Amino acid sequence: MSHGQDHGHDFPPMSSVKRWFVTTNHKDIGILYLITSIFVMLLAGALALVMRAELFSPGLDFLSSASGYNQAVSAHGLLMVFWFISPFAFGFANYIVPLQIGAKDLAFPRLNAMSYWAYLFSILLFVISFFQGGTFAGGWTMYAPLNIPTYMPNVGGTSVVLALIMFVAAVTMGSVNFLTTIYRMRAPGLRMRDLPMFSMSIFLTVWMMLFAFAALLAALMILGAQHLVGVNYFNVDGGSLLWTHLFWFFGHPEVYIVFFPALGVMAETFQTFTGRRIVGRKWFVLAMVLVALQSFIVWMHHMFLTGINLQIKTLFMVTTIGISLPFDLMVFSLIYTMIKGRIRYTTPFLFSLGALILFILGGITGVFLGAVVLDYEFRGTYWVVAHFHYVMFAGGTALVGGLYYWFPKMTGRMYNEFLGKLHFAVYFVGFNLLYFPMFSAWETPRRVFVFDTSMAFWHKIATVGAFMLGFSFFIMFYNLFKSMASGEEVGENPWEYATTAEWATESPPPLENFTGIADYRGGKLSFLSESEANAAASGTATDGGTATDGGTPPAEASTATGSGTATGGALATAEQALATRTVESEPEHADHASYWPLVVCFAGFLAFLGLSGIQQGGIYYGFAGAGGLLSAIGFVGMAQESFHAPEPTIAEQWPFANVPNMKLGMWFFLSSDVVLFGGFIGSYLFLRVANGWMFWEHELIPEAHVTFPGLVNTYLLLASSFAVVLALVAAHKNSSRGIVASLSATWLLGVGFLINKGIEWQHLFHIHTDAFPNGWNLATNVASSTFYLTTGLHAAHVIVGLIMLLYMIPRAMRGAYTGEDEASLEYFGLYWHFVDIVWLFLFPLFYIL
Amino acid sequence: MPVMAVPAGGVVADVVLAGAGGIRAPAEVFQRIFLVFLALGTLVGTVVITYTLYNAYKYRYREDVDPAPDAERPQMGELPEGGGKGKKLFLSFGLSAVIVLSLVAWTYGALVMVEEGPSQSAGQEELESLNVQVEGYQFGWDYIYPNGHKTSTLRVPVDRVVNVSVTSRDVFHNFGIPELRVKTDAIPGQTNDAWFIAEETGTYQANCYELCGQGHSYMQTDVVVMSQSEFDEWYSNTNGTESGTNSTQSPTGTESESGDHSEAIAR
Repeated sequence: MSHGQDHGHDFPPMSSVKRWFVTTNHKDIGILYLITSIFVMLLAGALALVMRAELFSPGLDFLSSASGYNQAVSAHGLLMVFWFISPFAFGFANYIVPLQIGAKDLAFPRLNAMSYWAYLFSILLFVISFFQGGTFAGGWTMYAPLNIPTYMPNVGGTSVVLALIMFVAAVTMGSVNFLTTIYRMRAPGLRMRDLPMFSMSIFLTVWMMLFAFAALLAALMILGAQHLVGVNYFNVDGGSLLWTHLFWFFGHPEVYIVFFPALGVMAETFQTFTGRRIVGRKWFVLAMVLVALQSFIVWMHHMFLTGINLQIKTLFMVTTIGISLPFDLMVFSLIYTMIKGRIRYTTPFLFSLGALILFILGGITGVFLGAVVLDYEFRGTYWVVAHFHYVMFAGGTALVGGLYYWFPKMTGRMYNEFLGKLHFAVYFVGFNLLYFPMFSAWETPRRVFVFDTSMAFWHKIATVGAFMLGFSFFIMFYNLFKSMASGEEVGENPWEYATTAEWATESPPPLENFTGIADYRGGKLSFLSESEANAAASGTATDGGTATDGGTPPAEASTATGSGTATGGALATAEQALATRTVESEPEHADHASYWPLVVCFAGFLAFLGLSGIQQGGIYYGFAGAGGLLSAIGFVGMAQESFHAPEPTIAEQWPFANVPNMKLGMWFFLSSDVVLFGGFIGSYLFLRVANGWMFWEHELIPEAHVTFPGLVNTYLLLASSFAVVLALVAAHKNSSRGIVASLSATWLLGVGFLINKGIEWQHLFHIHTDAFPNGWNLATNVASSTFYLTTGLHAAHVIVGLIMLLYMIPRAMRGAYTGEDEASLEYFGLYWHFVDIVWLFLFPLFYIL
Repeated sequence: MPVMAVPAGGVVADVVLAGAGGIRAPAEVFQRIFLVFLALGTLVGTVVITYTLYNAYKYRYREDVDPAPDAERPQMGELPEGGGKGKKLFLSFGLSAVIVLSLVAWTYGALVMVEEGPSQSAGQEELESLNVQVEGYQFGWDYIYPNGHKTSTLRVPVDRVVNVSVTSRDVFHNFGIPELRVKTDAIPGQTNDAWFIAEETGTYQANCYELCGQGHSYMQTDVVVMSQSEFDEWYSNTNGTESGTNSTQSPTGTESESGDHSEAIAR
């Protein structure tokens, strides 16, 4: 394959092992996700087969102890839901989305690599947990208080919580990356509504991810703190219910996060293989948007039996049954798309059609669950198990179809069609043999291996189906491996009626995806050369093409950001259709490799591994220390590295035309951080109401906890925000000394904040009153726990800001951040103001009310 | 112990109870609603899937036949546009909306009835219900009667409303008697109420439906439904731990005000 734009970067070829450790290219990372997630699928699938073997007869118990079965079922769920199915989908997202929108890579390539390595190392941490006294054995739903050390003392339980936190970090980085990319790096002429169905589905998925996972992170951080430092959240009144709220507020959007990419694949393959455009595409997209929004207001249907009141149950019954309606529309859209089609029964289409049928079955059984009166009986039974496997694994089925669909694009070779069909046949029969009998045996309680003999017959069939389903994957592995080596070579597009841009380039695509710049302004895809693109950016629009409607978003040139390279900038306003731009005499180099993401994530892994057993000391201290040190080195190294990720010459960027990538990324990240704090504050409020608002104040908080230190801290932070504003002003005026002075003032005020807090906390730790003879510290009671943990999270944010300042101030002394370079200062300012605003909420909540 | 199996989809006579003043047991409510959903769901599923497969077959690719030679086929590089205005879509969407919303409305009535308990049913005499506290623990269930007697086998009279107030002494459990169609979460620090009526004597089983630790699979107890007279005899012979005396009074109390699934948070 040719790499016309490969400027000799020392970027190792695909055959070299080193390449895979340093790559930041989205296609490589996509492949890494696909392969890694398939390994997870095999592990979690093996756990399922072990369970099904034990379920062959009621009362079999060969998994050494009851804990073995519980570990298997919990690990199966956690691994499949978190570590298999979404990463598998994002393998495709990484590979395909930039191609579909005409971009050369994601907005933040190194961040993308970090997402992958954090994912990989979190799997490693999870696997290690099996050997630390047994892994988490409380179900993938991790209900409280079974999830706290009192009932789960094994270190492995803590490791899983930490591994999941690491995973959430990977997801958050990924969401920020994809959102920025999709908003800011589309080919000119590709409006948001024109996004291909798969990219559209990923777009909505990452929006949901951004907010849902932040809520989960709050829950996990609190649970982790309960494990590591003994805070009291989930063991007090209201604690159990708090966990269910936090978990399911995340958990319900999560299932759509899992399913949406599959829906995108189905839409793509239905269009391609029927040779018909999706019927009612506009409504299909609107239905998806509706589901994405509605997914956040159905969570209490997982809690119908927790004692919530009738009005709330009714509300959630309505929203839950209501959410089936947009899905109805999408299902029918796909069915009608087949009409007047010329359908080819290729393997991808068979899997998508199969997925549709499975989803219809699963969806219907979900309506049962939404009827509260029925849910009263289905709760905790195999009806639920069968339902969610039908819908979730229907998603998985479509993704398997996606693997066959894009396999030729990724490898340049066609898979064996007969083996593909054989795989589908064995898969589909096995799937239904496995899950359909569960409806007959629905009375079986979940997560048990002892059940009534009247249901044994159905469970036997299910076990046979499970092994059949598992075996079918070996047909696929054989097929794909063999085809990679000796399959028929394909050109750009082996599929008739495929329309999207990934099929308009080589198989596999060159390093920077296309020869030329993708352009849709003529009404269909064409490719411009660099010079044509520059000319188009500064000249008039190209001729012909479909007329765009009013309110056409502007095509804009943008300044390239990224450390180290200054380019000629250009100004463009949203009202102007075109912008002028100073043209670079040579094309900009893009970097594709960096080893820092691997270093930072490995350091994170060591740190988390150390944390998991920190109460046992010994080698765990070593891991934690090494991890902390290495991550410091890694972050500095990464910041110092000259890594150029150029923004596109010309792109569709509505509605963020004037917001550079880094700034937009920072905004997305902060939105997620808002939800994180929302989770902590919400937990505090919920527990305080559950335990008695005034009782809390009178009995759980010592007299010594007064407002004054909080007030002082408020002034210190406000002053420090002002100092940052001054720094920006100084930057405008190109005054290095002004910048250094203001940033130093910010730093000093921040340190003052921390010192003041330290004094306050020390004082409270050492009070000796009748009510609190041992002081008022993190583990004293729920009021102290919520106080220290929430304000502590905030203090951690302050510390991070101060560390960033320690990096920035020396650079400012050497003249950085003046003139054009003030962008980094602005992003820091955004972060710092956010941290201050959070305090303005915490202060009244924890010091006044 | 013989356990009466209720096969899924088995028919239970939908008759009004003779003994409990015309109150319909949650078991019957569930059975009827379940059957309707099952019938409707099977019908809808069969129709839709058949229609899907029919279309998939009818419009299969044939080299010589193009079912719509004038139809527009997707072109490489085109800007996406939806085929067809989607009028058909709204027809099917409207139909499913009607079905689904009707189901919601219909089951709402049943939900209210189960929630508020038998006390709201019109036109019967003063109920005589039995209140039993249920405490889940790792890994069993304790039943505490009004006279203080604690047992690990739940004994109740037939054809009487039984109110259970369920909580947990340690972790999150879930108490359910499948054949009697009663189930509720057992959450530490709070009490959830549910009720049921057993229509036939016999021995049933109560299970735990929320993963609660190593013994979860074994967390079962017996539920014995006996005739009123047998029950009275048994009950009068129990020593209430609190009262300390053999109680000969019948265990009726005023009907529970909280016969619904309301939560009472301990404070």
